[in-house]
Amino acid sequence: MRPAPGDEALAAAFAAKERWAFDEAYARFGRLLYSTAYHVLGNPEDAQDCVHDALTRVWRSPDSYTRSRGAVRSFLTVCVRNEAITRLRAKARRHKLEERVAAEPQEHDELGAGDVIEQDRLRAALRTLPPEQRKPLELAYFDYKTHVEIARELNEPLGTIKSRIALGLRKLGAALGASE
Amino acid sequence: MTDHLGELAALYALGMLEPAEQRAADEHLAHCDACRRHLAQAESDVAAMAAAQPQLEPPARFFAPAPAPPARKSSPYNGWLALAAALLIAVLPAGYLLQANLAMHQDMATDAQAIARVASSPHRTVRFSGADARVMYAPDGSWYCIVIRGASAPLHVLWPHDGTTTMLGTAMPHGDVALLYLPKSHRMEHLTLMQGDREVGQAQLVF
Repeated sequence: MRPAPGDEALAAAFAAKERWAFDEAYARFGRLLYSTAYHVLGNPEDAQDCVHDALTRVWRSPDSYTRSRGAVRSFLTVCVRNEAITRLRAKARRHKLEERVAAEPQEHDELGAGDVIEQDRLRAALRTLPPEQRKPLELAYFDYKTHVEIARELNEPLGTIKSRIALGLRKLGAALGASE
Repeated sequence: MTDHLGELAALYALGMLEPAEQRAADEHLAHCDACRRHLAQAESDVAAMAAAQPQLEPPARFFAPAPAPPARKSSPYNGWLALAAALLIAVLPAGYLLQANLAMHQDMATDAQAIARVASSPHRTVRFSGADARVMYAPDGSWYCIVIRGASAPLHVLWPHDGTTTMLGTAMPHGDVALLYLPKSHRMEHLTLMQGDREVGQAQLVF
């Protein structure tokens, strides 16, 4: 049995589009990618389609991932999340927003007590930010709003919102142990 | 974009950029190693947020089969496939694009890779019984393209499975042809065509 490759080896092989790297990334990060898509889309089938389509697009696109883009895990997480947000926005354009809000997300049997602790970990980290950084970051991460929409909603200049989001994100990443 | 991304890297990683900003950022990233590294940090921060949310167990089918990155293999066109590709590229009018499959058809009309998927990916074709219709589909169930000739009204495509029926979408007629493209991840072995409440065709797919 081949030992699990390290992050560096995986990144190099993924950038070189070696097939085993795709399979390894899928097996290793699949749960995170699925969960990320599910939290945006609220539906198991949509989440699964989103992950599969995002990964297929990444794999087929030349030069989509290079070593300088950092860890494969982070890169794929953002790809999947952005694909999910794009789908959600397209869906919102097709349907009245209130219909989407009224639709109950499907129950997920696997959500356990440990997950509540994880949810608290994100919320707790957010609470460490000053309100002027926390609010725009929450609107961006949980409500999928653009910086233009957030600036309008908070009645702040666009440049101010951009700066606060960038600063808040870096602080939050550090608090959550993101690699630097 | 000639300037470095700067604070836009955080917005890029959070999926907040407007489409035009996103395109400009992608163009810049293609030749700026410093900005790729800057973006990598922001992506690491966003991934840390995602990992701090509840982690869910995907359905069993999520991992089996894995979405294999298909090899690019040429496949001979047939009449139905040429018709589908032509519709996607040239015939769909703006009004049609505003129908229920808006995002999907926009993707198909604008994304050359999606066109290539239909036109050149390995696929199988099955005829619907009772209707002048075909379904072309990937052997791994990753996409389906339903083309109906002689369609005068919208046709609904349904998937009966596991004691229930899932409404997959509606093929809207353009002229006398209706088409529905479905990027999916499941192997759907049975499809039903409905016009209103009336069943007009069935197809059995083999995987």
